[in-house]
Amino acid sequence: MLVTKPAAELCALLIDELHGELPSRIFAILLSKGRSTVPQLAQYTSMTPRQVRHGLAVLQQHNLLFYHTDPGAEFASYEANPDNAYNLVRTGKILEMIDTSFGAPAKDVMQSLLLSGQTRVSDLVAAYKEKLGHGNQTESAVGDDPDFGVEANGVNGDSKPDKKAGPLVKSTAHLNTIICRLVEAELIDVVHAKTFESSEDVLKTVEREVMHKYFPTGVKGNKAKQELQERIAEGLRKVRGESKSLKRKLEQNGSAAKRRKLLAGIGMANGIQDEDMDPALDPRQVIRINYEKCLVDLRNRRLVQYATDMIGETTAYVYGVLLKLLTKDLPRCRADPVMDAVAEKDEEDEKGPGSVTTEQILDSLKTSVDLSLGIGKAERRQVSSTAAEKIELYPPKKRVLIEEAEVDGEASADEDEGDDESSEESDYDSDYKAPTTNGTNGINGTNGTNGTKVKFDESAAPKERRMDRPTQLRQHLLMLAESTQHFVRHCGPNEWTVDFVPVMKSLREVELDSVIERTCGRQGLRLVRILRAKGKLDEKALPNVALMRKPELQQKMLEMQTAGFVSVQEVPRDLKADVKKSFFLWFCDVDRSLSRLLDTGYVTMVHCLQVLEALRRKEQDVLETTKRTDVRGREKDTMRKSYYERYSRFLECERKLFAQVMRVDDLVSVLRDF
Amino acid sequence: MASGSTADDAGAKLQILKDALYDEMRQHGSEARPFSQKDLNDLNIIPNNDVNLLLSVVQRLCDDKLLVGIANHHAGMAWRWRSREEAKKYTSLPNDEAVMVYSIIDEAGADGIWNRTIKNKLNMHEAVVKNCIKFLETKGYIASMKNVEHPNKKMYIKATLRPSERATGGPWFTEGELDTAFISELEGIVFEYIKTKSAYRGSQPHAGGAASSAGATKAPKKGAVTAGETTARGTKRSATEISNDDAPTAATRTANGSTTTTTTTKSRAVFLPMPAGYKHYPTVAEIAKFIHDTGITNNTTLGESDIQQLVDVLSYDGLIERVRVGRRRGYRVARAVKQDTVPFHKRQKEREAGVGLDLPLVPGAEPLGSGLTEAPCGRCPVFELCEEGGPVSPSNCVYFLQWLELEEPPKAVAANVANPP
Repeated sequence: MLVTKPAAELCALLIDELHGELPSRIFAILLSKGRSTVPQLAQYTSMTPRQVRHGLAVLQQHNLLFYHTDPGAEFASYEANPDNAYNLVRTGKILEMIDTSFGAPAKDVMQSLLLSGQTRVSDLVAAYKEKLGHGNQTESAVGDDPDFGVEANGVNGDSKPDKKAGPLVKSTAHLNTIICRLVEAELIDVVHAKTFESSEDVLKTVEREVMHKYFPTGVKGNKAKQELQERIAEGLRKVRGESKSLKRKLEQNGSAAKRRKLLAGIGMANGIQDEDMDPALDPRQVIRINYEKCLVDLRNRRLVQYATDMIGETTAYVYGVLLKLLTKDLPRCRADPVMDAVAEKDEEDEKGPGSVTTEQILDSLKTSVDLSLGIGKAERRQVSSTAAEKIELYPPKKRVLIEEAEVDGEASADEDEGDDESSEESDYDSDYKAPTTNGTNGINGTNGTNGTKVKFDESAAPKERRMDRPTQLRQHLLMLAESTQHFVRHCGPNEWTVDFVPVMKSLREVELDSVIERTCGRQGLRLVRILRAKGKLDEKALPNVALMRKPELQQKMLEMQTAGFVSVQEVPRDLKADVKKSFFLWFCDVDRSLSRLLDTGYVTMVHCLQVLEALRRKEQDVLETTKRTDVRGREKDTMRKSYYERYSRFLECERKLFAQVMRVDDLVSVLRDF
Repeated sequence: MASGSTADDAGAKLQILKDALYDEMRQHGSEARPFSQKDLNDLNIIPNNDVNLLLSVVQRLCDDKLLVGIANHHAGMAWRWRSREEAKKYTSLPNDEAVMVYSIIDEAGADGIWNRTIKNKLNMHEAVVKNCIKFLETKGYIASMKNVEHPNKKMYIKATLRPSERATGGPWFTEGELDTAFISELEGIVFEYIKTKSAYRGSQPHAGGAASSAGATKAPKKGAVTAGETTARGTKRSATEISNDDAPTAATRTANGSTTTTTTTKSRAVFLPMPAGYKHYPTVAEIAKFIHDTGITNNTTLGESDIQQLVDVLSYDGLIERVRVGRRRGYRVARAVKQDTVPFHKRQKEREAGVGLDLPLVPGAEPLGSGLTEAPCGRCPVFELCEEGGPVSPSNCVYFLQWLELEEPPKAVAANVANPP
């Protein structure tokens, strides 16, 4: 990953925030100077090699470094891992996500793992044993058994995180179960030797191996080149697969989900029953958090939020369930260009995340959700089911732009049956005309769908219709498929999938649009979207399309040019290049605006952290008091009132600033990682 | 004498032929039609197709300004007829200069002509042209006009003509200026129409409805928008018990202490999106018809293409979106759930009554917020200069202090950056 200056600054600040100044300084040097050895680092930082090693150890522990030793070299060279450094900012979000989907105990384990970096299983167990020892003492003092029940419910993710009554993880066996579940969800994976090498190094090594093994005489011809590519991709996939070794081992014993399903008939699936079933983990195994998979889950949440903004909550909930099912086995948000290129070619139609059926979604919906909400009522004959049920087998070819959507509409116009059209003309304006041809129209629509649809038709006959749940679910899904954002693709009868690339692209545009609208107003947004739809446009043509006065328009365009949302190109009419006669073509380069927005995001985060630092300096005396052992934990009672007020105000500001950083991270994730 | 009488005869004959030819031409086409020599011969007015006779007749007519000779590159010489009243205007002019100026303005037609162009074409002295124009204007033969494309140029047009659409700029212009008030008013009406026609007005039960409806329908003041919105979102999600995913995040996000989690169960009116395949999303034709029927635009006629232009602007604004169901191209409101259920005109009335004057009166929902624009940095005028160690730096940033409420905002800004409730 290439790092821009603000991004580098941000990474250094984040490490400073979480791990202290020493690692942060080394990290910053590594980012600016590139790959270095310990003596080099000592020279750059004017620190002793001993200090440098300390710092490197911390960084290494948290997987913020890559190292590489050339055979025969005296020193290992170190390299910064900016991706993981940036991921530090997502710590809170990941924990929160784990909390909601796996429950508080899992969150607790994840938190320990985040705090201690990559850890051997035995160390983690030991740490928890110690904690349990403490916990048991307090617990015996309180002596409340029902508390266990609450905690066990927490595993299902239904109850709210409890107010710290007793330890969250009750035994080492429970810990084991939690780790197993997280491994199965791919949120935790195994550390192996290659984890510490940067992707370029791994690529080099694999390349060398492949060359050595299969092409000792060199690569000649196109066919051989292609084979080389395939072999390299295969080798890389093998390396990547190594970190999933633990998951595979667990799956051989049958996954936890399956075991739980078997138990479901017996009763409440709580932690205690599971414990005996999970295999004990190899205590020497080193585990760490798999950020790639975490990002997939975070992306799902962002998309649900997006759907909430665009359509509505109930529909978004359905979408969330769909996404969860769809991305269960999706290891990462973006496919790797080298590794996944071949895989895609092999299985042309099985590309992407596969699909989910309506029944699967129905099985996973919470029973408390009322699906009749969030969707308008329309008379049976006002809805064209042929149009709604349109099945799109293939993902959209390329970028979904406004004009392309138009073209697409043109092209598929002749695919539609004629009867649809005639009925539309007939009930042009009068909503209450007796249905004439429309009745048959609806029945046509049921062709190719299964039983659920038929029920829909029967119940639709009376005026006041009550839809059954599968039909309601279908309505939501169809609405998602019909939306201009193309949240969902109806890829087969009752099968649904999501084309992440175009959806994320539209989300990115929406993010950009909202920034433009907030900074340059609605008219600015209008102009940008016009340019996006029409391509380059002459300055003289713009006012007519935008219905704006010329001077206002010019002012707005200049404002947006300085903000980097639009650019202008001067095209002279003749050789003399007279300015008065030249054309001025405005255009907007979405990619450029997005990368600029990304950097703005980094800088904003940096500023937030710097403001926090300044506040800390300002309130230094108060903060130092709180560090005293006799004050810590009892701030309110021991501190003077004015001091305490300052302290609580500072805490509030800190919270606010961190929250702000997290929110900007929402934007950065959308632009960069999802 | 004899020769004199033959000349008289010839003159009378010519006069008769002249009138006959002129009347016949008027029968055969409009003023715009060019007649070639062959056309004139075929009218069968001139006996024996006598070319010389035709020549003199045409010459007479031209002298009387009843015919205008035009040179056509393809067909050669041709003539158009001119009405007698117009011809009278020409003949009544005192001198040749005035005739030339008038004819050049006449030729320009409904588009009008720039006085500089007149001067250049005629190659006359400026004073002469000016005099002529003045004379013609006082006579009421020509009038000055404004062209939208060149608002600074002084243009002239025949007084009897109305400026062409190109010159006036179409229905969106009043007296050469883009009528933004008219446009925005009409936009509001069209948007309202689309909104009510393309979304279902229903009610949704809402626990904590008070907080969320306050956030959704009455947009809070500018500075507090962030807080209001996020709480609204947060409470909505947790309240409907759809999932408790977001409630904790919302709580951390709105860590600025706005605790509006009142739990009152009431239903509120919302717009709901229509099910997929809905066939009655309004089309441009329907919108045009609606505008026509209401008679809002009584003195300007709006065609479908004009309405299309307006609708396009609305969709570029992100207020509406195009949907294609079957072969019908309709428009529907974007983000239906977030729309204001109080009609636009009612909001305007409220405004007149002095309610909600602090809210911006624009159609459509609040724009989406993002973490970037809510922080001071996203709207900072000196963002590019701001750097630790520079003249402006995060550690001495006043905007951040105001945002964190560590410092009172200055009086002028106070109206905009209001404290969250």
